[in-house]
Amino acid sequence: MTPAAAPPAAPPAAPPLAPSSAIALEKVEKRYPDGTLANSGVSFAVAAGETHALVGENGAGKSTVMKMLYGLERPTAGILRVHGRPVDFRHPGDAIAAGIGLVAQHLNLVASLTVAENVVLGHEPRRPGGRLDRVAAAARVRELVEQSGLAVDPTATVASLPVGVRQRVEILKVLHRGARILLLDEPTAVLTPPETATLFATLRQLAAAGRTVLVITHKLDEVKALAGGVTVLCQGRVTGSARMAELDEGALSHLMVGRELSPPAPRRVAGARPAPRIVARGLGYVDDDGAIRLRDVGFDVAPGEILGIAGVEGNGQDVLARLLSGAAIPSAGDARLDGRVFTGLSPRAARALGVAVVTEDRLHDGAAPTLSILDNLLATRYAHPPLSRRGLIDRRTARRWAQAVIDGFGVRAAGPYQPMGALSGGNMQKLILAREIADAPAFLVASQPTRGVDIAAAAALHTRLAALRDQGAAILLISADLDELLALSDRIGVLYRGRIVARFEAGAVDAQTLGLHMTGLGPRRERGDHDAVA
Amino acid sequence: MSLDLVAAGTVAAMVAVATLRAATPIVFASLGGLISELAGCINVALEGVMLVAAFAGVITSAYSGLWFPDAPLWLHPWLGCAAGLLAGTALAGLLAVFHLELGADLIVAGIGLNILAQGLTVLLMAHLTGDKGSTASLTSFALPNLRWPELGDVPVLGALLNGDGGAGHNVLVYGALAATGLIAWTLRHTVFGLRLRAAGENAEAALAAGLAVKRLRYAGLLLSGLLASGGGVFLGMGYLTLFQADMAAGRGYLALAAVFLGGRRPLGTVVAALVFGGATVIAARLGLLAVPAEVVFMIPPLVTIAALVLVKQHQRLAARRRAAAGRATLLSS
Amino acid sequence: MTPSREGARIALAVGAALALGFAIMACVSDQPWAALRALLTGPLPSIERAVDGRVVVHRLVRFGAWLQDATTLTLVGLAIAIPFRARQFSLGADGQLFMGALAAAVVSLGVGDVPAAIALPLAFLAAAAAGAAWGLVAGLLKTRFEANEIVTTLMLNVVAVQVYRLVVGRVLNDPTAGFITTPPLPDAATLAPLIARTTVTAMVLVAPAAVAAALFLLRRTTLGYEIDLAGANPWFAVRAGVPVARATVLAFALGGAFAGLAGFHVSNALLKRLPIDLTPGIGLEGIVVALLARGRVGALPLAALGYAYLRVGAQAMERATDVPREVVLVIQALIILFVVSDRLAPLALGLARRTGARVRARIGGRAA
Repeated sequence: MTPAAAPPAAPPAAPPLAPSSAIALEKVEKRYPDGTLANSGVSFAVAAGETHALVGENGAGKSTVMKMLYGLERPTAGILRVHGRPVDFRHPGDAIAAGIGLVAQHLNLVASLTVAENVVLGHEPRRPGGRLDRVAAAARVRELVEQSGLAVDPTATVASLPVGVRQRVEILKVLHRGARILLLDEPTAVLTPPETATLFATLRQLAAAGRTVLVITHKLDEVKALAGGVTVLCQGRVTGSARMAELDEGALSHLMVGRELSPPAPRRVAGARPAPRIVARGLGYVDDDGAIRLRDVGFDVAPGEILGIAGVEGNGQDVLARLLSGAAIPSAGDARLDGRVFTGLSPRAARALGVAVVTEDRLHDGAAPTLSILDNLLATRYAHPPLSRRGLIDRRTARRWAQAVIDGFGVRAAGPYQPMGALSGGNMQKLILAREIADAPAFLVASQPTRGVDIAAAAALHTRLAALRDQGAAILLISADLDELLALSDRIGVLYRGRIVARFEAGAVDAQTLGLHMTGLGPRRERGDHDAVA
Repeated sequence: MSLDLVAAGTVAAMVAVATLRAATPIVFASLGGLISELAGCINVALEGVMLVAAFAGVITSAYSGLWFPDAPLWLHPWLGCAAGLLAGTALAGLLAVFHLELGADLIVAGIGLNILAQGLTVLLMAHLTGDKGSTASLTSFALPNLRWPELGDVPVLGALLNGDGGAGHNVLVYGALAATGLIAWTLRHTVFGLRLRAAGENAEAALAAGLAVKRLRYAGLLLSGLLASGGGVFLGMGYLTLFQADMAAGRGYLALAAVFLGGRRPLGTVVAALVFGGATVIAARLGLLAVPAEVVFMIPPLVTIAALVLVKQHQRLAARRRAAAGRATLLSS
Repeated sequence: MTPSREGARIALAVGAALALGFAIMACVSDQPWAALRALLTGPLPSIERAVDGRVVVHRLVRFGAWLQDATTLTLVGLAIAIPFRARQFSLGADGQLFMGALAAAVVSLGVGDVPAAIALPLAFLAAAAAGAAWGLVAGLLKTRFEANEIVTTLMLNVVAVQVYRLVVGRVLNDPTAGFITTPPLPDAATLAPLIARTTVTAMVLVAPAAVAAALFLLRRTTLGYEIDLAGANPWFAVRAGVPVARATVLAFALGGAFAGLAGFHVSNALLKRLPIDLTPGIGLEGIVVALLARGRVGALPLAALGYAYLRVGAQAMERATDVPREVVLVIQALIILFVVSDRLAPLALGLARRTGARVRARIGGRAA
């Protein structure tokens, strides 16, 4: 598509393109009421029509910059300029009026409404009497779909859509308002490689049509693939700003974390595999709506082995993790640990048999943010000695253990009584893993163990997982991060629409091939019998 | 049509009329509860809103009669109605301010306002009339009834439209029906309804879409206050023609139950409200037989609990059926 | 927030509520100052030296009423606060209290001629068990059927009051009494006053003991931990293997047991017989007490003492002046609203500061 065919800006209020910077921050500071300093002296500029990457570790203050640019937060000092004019956004409505659109990290859609309703929300086509014009809304979405190449059905309910499609809806929403400046906060975190490629093509096309794009990412290759310029944030300050042409990946990585990080060398099981510890056969699950979420899933995991499960979110990984940890009852099949069935019981019973679980969404069901670190660590161990006897909890022993965990796992925390919610994602995840492996589980189900975690913490978590494996535990690693899967797994299975559609020895596959299978495009590779690759 | 059929139809119409009359305040309040729930901040103060509205309506109509003896008689009840709606809406506005501006917990603040309404109405009633029980010593006015005398002779329909003894129905009974339709239409078809639901379901998304979420929630709470006030005004100026201490008698809480029972949908909510109304009618009919009053008074709360349980069981059975069907597919493939 | 700042905030809220309450009194009363005085000093006994030099204590009855009311309030406060640890908003203390009182009376009247050492513990346990059972129902409705506990507890309150009236009026009725009530409970089953001329009994010591027991249970036992975790994040608790449903049900039952003890206090210590028109509503007062204590179980007795003081003062006020006691409902409501409004104090302080600055600026401007 040529720039001439770009969608017209809908609100006439969209400011004209100035030749200068589209966005400029001058010594911007954000201090939250509780005293936390999220940003300090942040200055950088993005030229109109440029695609600019904002990189940095978790907690570096990138999202805060985005929120200030979108009127969700107000800077406590400094000046924001849009097209050269200083702005003071009190409300996202102000930012929208200034031609700015945000595609947030946690997709901001109303699940029970349709795609069209979500896209037009806030700028709805109307009929007399304050009525919503649903026909015009759907037509507008079709028009936007045609212009942008982002395929979505306008009448579908958002709740029924996979994450990748929902993100397209977010982008359409931004385009509907005629945004000239797009802010994207980690847009690829939930996408498969092919979806990422589609997104990048769309972004390039939008940039070619004169739009300015500011994108937050963790991933260096994405910076290289997309951006013309890059700004690095570290602990709320800008530590570097450069044109991409001037940098190579190593230099950029160094800039980001202050040191080069190498993935842990996985120790593959040498020689003959021991007998499998985990044997799953024919696992199937039907949800309350009668939809088949998982069917005929079987696999073996040996002690000292990591089985990776790849797949696009929503293809059954969450269900598989719940079945294997006792949180859901399989509709068909079972799984055994050393010959004993551990599915279909309860989380407590599964844990008693030696199963541990790192859940996918740590804030939802992996931790209690309002309780202390100590109380969070206790959750899986409080019922047994040495932490309790005859129903009485030994608080002193518990506190000593919690302090030992904090020290041993390098968690940055004030002490065992600090609320869990006050910690960064990485530190929280370290504590969760520490809790789950404290009783030396025979089988660990780890779902997205490093999602949203900074690079250093992710490396530490990977080391712990490898150590657990070396102690002889069987591990099922479910991850959307293909690099992580490839680095840690001994074998990898791909889940697609609730089935394992492909199985690989980890050394014999690359991310591109996995990506094809994750989207159902790969040649069928599943062999009939389950221990074919075991 | 045979005579028996007509007689049966007339009895059914009478029961329907009694149910509608008993349910009208609950219908109003439950619509208010629904709209606040959909806006994301459920109005627990419905009970207090009804009390305040009933009190303000009755007192205003009575004083209007005392102060403007020369004004036409029809004016007093309508002045009272306006004052009742205003006062009830103001109480809901107070809840909105406490919750949205001052960060008060919605449920606790709602309960607090219910207690405030209970105390203030009795306090003012004692001050104005010297009686802590009711305003029987004042002459207050009822809102008019609508009658269709020309249909009086039509079997069943006449009984349905003109009620017991041909007195017709209070204008607010029709008001409740109209409000049901209007609210259902507004939520489904208007931009305001779309925005209200969006703000209620996902405030963050609504905010990011540029919607003024706080203003929408104010609108939701104020509207809920206005609707529940309709129920309160009916209690004092239709159902009875005076104000009694604690006149709402738990209807505000029943209305909340109706919202959940009705699956947070307008029609379901109103049906649930009608069921609650019907329970009180049945209780009253049983009271005429030799059933002890205490047992009769247990019926509405037990019906509420049973309904909550049955709805859940129904949902569960439906889910189990769907799951079984899915499982059959799973196993056969 | 630190306990001391929290305490200051609550003191501020109570002060503001009293001030507003006084403003309302001034509107409806001819003698607002007398009313305020009665409200604030009503519960205190007056100690005078008589002409002959002896010390005479007057109005001990009201002082007793204060302690006695604080006992009830502490127990119903527990009935609210414990389920709230599991994030359950139980409003069922009323029904649990009625059931507890009824069970205590039935057992006391039914055991026959036995010594106090048998009759008292039996009635005590019966009250706790009946309250717990009534709480258990709400808990099971919540965990088995996801029935909203606010609705079910309110409905169960209505049912409990009607069951109480049915039994008192039609089964236990004492036809010789002249009003509808049970016969007087046998002496062996009732508690004697600790202070002469008052209704203060050993229950005044049971209340703090109950708080201590509840604190121990919540802080030191695995069940207490389970209740806390179920309240903080039930989804997490389930995944961690905590029996969330059991903990939730037990939280309701435990709360109910304490409300049942409040019922025992009413029947076997306070009234010593149960009239049919025992007034419901004390359960809702438990919410105020739990709120004033900010959910801290250890702070419940203090909150109960403070709030009971106000209630007894209101009765004194109603007797002494033309202000009806309902003014305390208003003050109670205002306390609730002010205490839960987290942003009220900062807002008020900020406003005061800004106004002060503006005034100073204006004065300074004039001086310049």
